[in-house]
Amino acid sequence: MSRVAIVDTGCCNLDSIARAIEECGGNPFVTDHPAGLERAARIVLPGVGAFPEAMARLRSCGLDVALTEQVMGRQIPFLGICLGMQLVATLGTEAGETAGLGWIDAQVRLLQAQPGERIPHIGWNEVLPVADCPLFKGLTPGLDFYFVHSYALRPDRDEDVAATTPYAGGFVSAVHRGNVFGVQFHPEKSQKAGFTVLRNFLAL
Amino acid sequence: MIKYCRRCVMPETKPDLYIDEEGVCSACRNFQARQDVDWEQRRTELVELLDRYGSRDGSNYDCLIPVSGGKDSTYQVIRMLELGRNPLCVTATTDKLSAIGRRNIENLKHLGVDYIEVTTNPVVRRRINRMALTEVGDVSWPEHVTIFTVPVRIAVQMGIRLIVWGENPQHEYGGPAAAAEGNSLDRRWLEEFGGLLGLRVSDLIGQEGIQRRDLIQYTYPSDEELRRVGVTGIFLGYYMPWDGYGNALYSQAHGFETYHKPVEGSLVNYENLDNVQTGIHDYFKFLKYGFGRATDLACLHIRRERLRRDEAIRLVRRHDGSFPWEYLGTPIAEVLDEIDMGLDEFIRVCDRFTNKKLFVCDARGDLVKDRRGNLSKVNYDNVADDTPTPASRTS
Amino acid sequence: MLKVRIMPTLLYKDVGLVKGVGFDSWRRIGSAMQTVKVYNLRQVDELVLLDIRATLDGRGPDLAAVDELADECFMPLTVGGGVRTIDDVHALLMVGADKVSMNTAAIEKPELIREVADRFGSQCAVVSIDARRQSDGTYEVFTHAGTRDTGLDPVTVARNAERMGAGEILLTSIDHDGAMDGYDLDLTLMVTAAVQLPVIASGGAGTYQDMADVLGQGHASAVAAASMFHFTEQTPLEAKRYLGELGFAVRR
Repeated sequence: MSRVAIVDTGCCNLDSIARAIEECGGNPFVTDHPAGLERAARIVLPGVGAFPEAMARLRSCGLDVALTEQVMGRQIPFLGICLGMQLVATLGTEAGETAGLGWIDAQVRLLQAQPGERIPHIGWNEVLPVADCPLFKGLTPGLDFYFVHSYALRPDRDEDVAATTPYAGGFVSAVHRGNVFGVQFHPEKSQKAGFTVLRNFLAL
Repeated sequence: MIKYCRRCVMPETKPDLYIDEEGVCSACRNFQARQDVDWEQRRTELVELLDRYGSRDGSNYDCLIPVSGGKDSTYQVIRMLELGRNPLCVTATTDKLSAIGRRNIENLKHLGVDYIEVTTNPVVRRRINRMALTEVGDVSWPEHVTIFTVPVRIAVQMGIRLIVWGENPQHEYGGPAAAAEGNSLDRRWLEEFGGLLGLRVSDLIGQEGIQRRDLIQYTYPSDEELRRVGVTGIFLGYYMPWDGYGNALYSQAHGFETYHKPVEGSLVNYENLDNVQTGIHDYFKFLKYGFGRATDLACLHIRRERLRRDEAIRLVRRHDGSFPWEYLGTPIAEVLDEIDMGLDEFIRVCDRFTNKKLFVCDARGDLVKDRRGNLSKVNYDNVADDTPTPASRTS
Repeated sequence: MLKVRIMPTLLYKDVGLVKGVGFDSWRRIGSAMQTVKVYNLRQVDELVLLDIRATLDGRGPDLAAVDELADECFMPLTVGGGVRTIDDVHALLMVGADKVSMNTAAIEKPELIREVADRFGSQCAVVSIDARRQSDGTYEVFTHAGTRDTGLDPVTVARNAERMGAGEILLTSIDHDGAMDGYDLDLTLMVTAAVQLPVIASGGAGTYQDMADVLGQGHASAVAAASMFHFTEQTPLEAKRYLGELGFAVRR
């Protein structure tokens, strides 16, 4: 059973993602400190809250360096969820500019509501995979996943985009570069479809 | 604290049971109301009904009796034969039929009836048992479904207009008034009270590889089909004063076989003898609601003045909710093996469905279990306001 | 585009789930755990869990119970009942609630809505409004599980909630609750016309058409239902199919 490290960024509930990983056959454990990452076969970075605070928290625990070592160095498969996906960018723009982990050249920007739309983007919406991303293996394109966010990642390179969602003029809902994966939606709240994504991640 | 009926020992946690201002439950009240019934009148009604729906020339059956071979269905068949009727008896094979259960079915046939047994695909059935256990905490869920769907499907297919059920479970076991008054069964009744626990057959599709084509026998006929044939159902328990023990005596006199000792987790040896998975089913009732088969039986006997309430409390403490290590002598490992589950997983599922509020827990909030895995309820009887009594499993 | 949501509502009383009619005549319907698991199996869009005794008993939310149930809930979960302080909200979010619903507190201490929105985000803050139709055709809002009148009308309360930063309104018709005779379209339209927030219609769902009516004519963003799913053969999946065929954007 895959040992999956769930990084504790001090945000709210980690139970949901841990339970979901368990249900998908993984062996989750929570860690907020670099040594914890060394035993992991997979790393998951969840996130709820604000970009600057989350990066500050990672830095203060030495996790930014440790994560880069494990993910970029040792090539451990990584999944960022919601804010966790946004943190892999080079730059966040919430409440001023903050440097992210920088693993994918990208900026995090506020969603622009189209007429009739509201921000934050909350609810079930379609995810349209653009490439052969292993996370979406076995899933019909256009299935709905659960979103709750106001910001989204905009990769500089098209080949890093794994899926888009038709809202706010269209935004990137999943990224993939090598062993780094990110999803803007919450797979642990998206039931069967979400579980398939998690299982695919565990099976990499 | 758990509140109990002051007359019997049923707790308030039972779905659809209502305890009134005098502290008496609806099942006890329903039983009390029986005294006012004119049973002669009811019998006349029954005969009229049977005449109306019966076959004029013997070319079809007079009625259809859903049977299991148990004390009640054996009794129903005997009564119908005594009334000179020609019933078709229909069984939906149970989840794990015991040897004594099979013998009782043979006995029922030899009372002198045509008999059809429908066995659902056992390989698929096991998967449904497993899924029902992990998803709704009721391993016998598929049985609750087929007990209704199979006889009704056959009634439609064979053009038999009258189905004769036994007791209306909502009546004696307590249930909303709307269900108790009526004595006929329609699809709405089934959905609401048939013990389906909110799960529908259509929910199974896509789970554990189950497909729509596996669920034919679990599918209730449409309202249109029922109307075309004109199928209606009655409960015999409306027309005669129903008593499980009395039924058992009568059935035994006609060859029905009982177990050589009280069945595990129960107080008696004359019922629930056919399905070996029943031990698990009854145990989960205890985990969810705080009462098991021993409580059910104690209440039935209290109402008929065969047990005093204080005696019942003692018996319930002793027998109710015992971990089902064995049922009809079959060890739990064998039962779990068939549904592809290990004991550890089973215990995890038990804990998940246990209503922690009803049982003694330690300071960390974990359930307290004895050496055999048995739980203790927080209280086994109503606690007076000024004298809190700790509960313990003493005998 | 964002999909309309179908949300079963679970009413929790003391030890298990109940269902009533007109906020009265409570029937015990069984184990909360089994119900949560069934809805999870049925892939419902969201689940609402309300502790209907908490405020009347003068206590806060039952965290142990929510914790256990949240563990089996792999879709968004809204929890309400007895929420009075920011600590109640924080505690509920920590044990697994995704959103917290405030009913009595929203009227008695509306600043709490602002606190929740600021600290946890407005997407966590649901304001629950229970209303009864009066003999003169107007509506009045009630707190304390429908037992205390407030002299306030639903539009005022909804507007105030929006001003305070709420993310959603859960609007329940006490009269139609449990009756399965259709949602209160007038009440729903009155509120959806007055605020920009998504409104979840609750109280009276009996058929799939009832849901279509309140989504279409009432402009609700989501529908809550309890009796309809507990007591009839209708299922959330079929509801979605029905609504999908009528052209509503439902979740795939």
